[in-house]
Amino acid sequence: MTSINQQLVDALGIMVMGMGLVFIFLSILIVGITIVAKFNPIPQPVKPVPGATNTTTAQGLDPKLVAAITSAIHQYRA
Amino acid sequence: MEGLMAFWGETGIAHFTSGQLLMMGVGCLLLYLAIKRGFEPLLLLPIGFGAILANIPNAGFTDEGGLLWYAYHVGIETGIFPLLIFMGVGAMTDFGALIANPKTLLLGAAAQFGIFATLLGAIALNLVPGFEFSMQDAAAIAIIGGADGPTAIFLASKLAPELLGAIAVAAYSYMALVPLIQPPIMKLLTTPAERSIKMEQLREVSKREKILFPLMVVGLTVLFLPAATPLVGMFCLGNLMKESGVVDRLSGTAQNELINIVTIFLGLAVGSKLSAEQFLRIETLGILVLGAVAFSIGTAAGVLMAKLMSKLSGGKVNPLIGAAGVSAVPMAARVVNRVGLEANHQNFLLMHAMGPNVAGVLGSAVAAGVLLAVLG
Repeated sequence: MTSINQQLVDALGIMVMGMGLVFIFLSILIVGITIVAKFNPIPQPVKPVPGATNTTTAQGLDPKLVAAITSAIHQYRA
Repeated sequence: MEGLMAFWGETGIAHFTSGQLLMMGVGCLLLYLAIKRGFEPLLLLPIGFGAILANIPNAGFTDEGGLLWYAYHVGIETGIFPLLIFMGVGAMTDFGALIANPKTLLLGAAAQFGIFATLLGAIALNLVPGFEFSMQDAAAIAIIGGADGPTAIFLASKLAPELLGAIAVAAYSYMALVPLIQPPIMKLLTTPAERSIKMEQLREVSKREKILFPLMVVGLTVLFLPAATPLVGMFCLGNLMKESGVVDRLSGTAQNELINIVTIFLGLAVGSKLSAEQFLRIETLGILVLGAVAFSIGTAAGVLMAKLMSKLSGGKVNPLIGAAGVSAVPMAARVVNRVGLEANHQNFLLMHAMGPNVAGVLGSAVAAGVLLAVLG
């Protein structure tokens, strides 16, 4: 009976220590993640400069203009 | 006539014991659960079949030199199979949700209370006549509460090999039963208002953060808990292979072919431990009960911790996500999502629950390391 009591006390000790270690370990990890996040911000996507002609995409063009250019190229090639 | 007698002497019918028949029944039950009910079929199917093979009289499958004996000797006694599986799991795990909300690590830590409380419970069970668990046995049983199959098998193979069959079966069965065990506990400990709390969308995580994370975890393990290195190290290796993006072939192999091959042999080897003389004991019953208790306490501890975080953050955390702190990836997170949806039809908690879910994997590996360091 006493040996079981002794074992229970030991188990309680392992429980307290184990939970403590798990919490300490993961808490340090939280600090680590936070620090890494601070030094590695997400690179912001470069915003196209408004008004700059060379960044205008095909979607930005007037479809009529595109059609006109296409037909002009075709005529030129023919 | 003599030849016929010799043949009869070699048949299974002449040598069956009732225990073997019963264990074949257990094997068939596992096959039924895997095939018909879809409970963790990847493991319960080979385990169930292994249990049938291991109980065939005169087959010699589990004797020294037999296939199952080798599978156990090479893969489990050495701890290699669970570690290879852990590497594959690492290669499949995305820590993005955890890195975006690192506080959820605390939930993964709290849920490990199930493990340590069960350690106490297993020792207390010694008060019942017929049970004689040593501290090592108790630790191996308690790890079922980590809800992590490979971790449980690894620890059991190191601390209590003779209980391994029952522990592995209990661990995988309860992982399959997560959708039944967890929701009542979650609902008991939370109010409908708490369950319908919506959480903020998670921030984006950069690739560099994801690459640095496994390295950081290994670094911490080296410094503070070398005993957990086998588990954590293999897990982080798999994760680094995935996140670095430069070894897609290796990462693909780790999370597909390799883990599949190892799973077949791990299942068979665990099944081989389900022989009548090793399984049909009163201890097995105790292990099954303690496993369920461990699971429930872990879930409850996770939910209570999340409730505390919810109070401290002014209602920004939904307490349900604490239940995902017992690993069982991704089943536990899905259960959280489902219970959350029941309370509020627009509440999608899946990504928020993935944080504590993968934190639980780390937490149980750390807990296993602590138990190994103290008792190994």
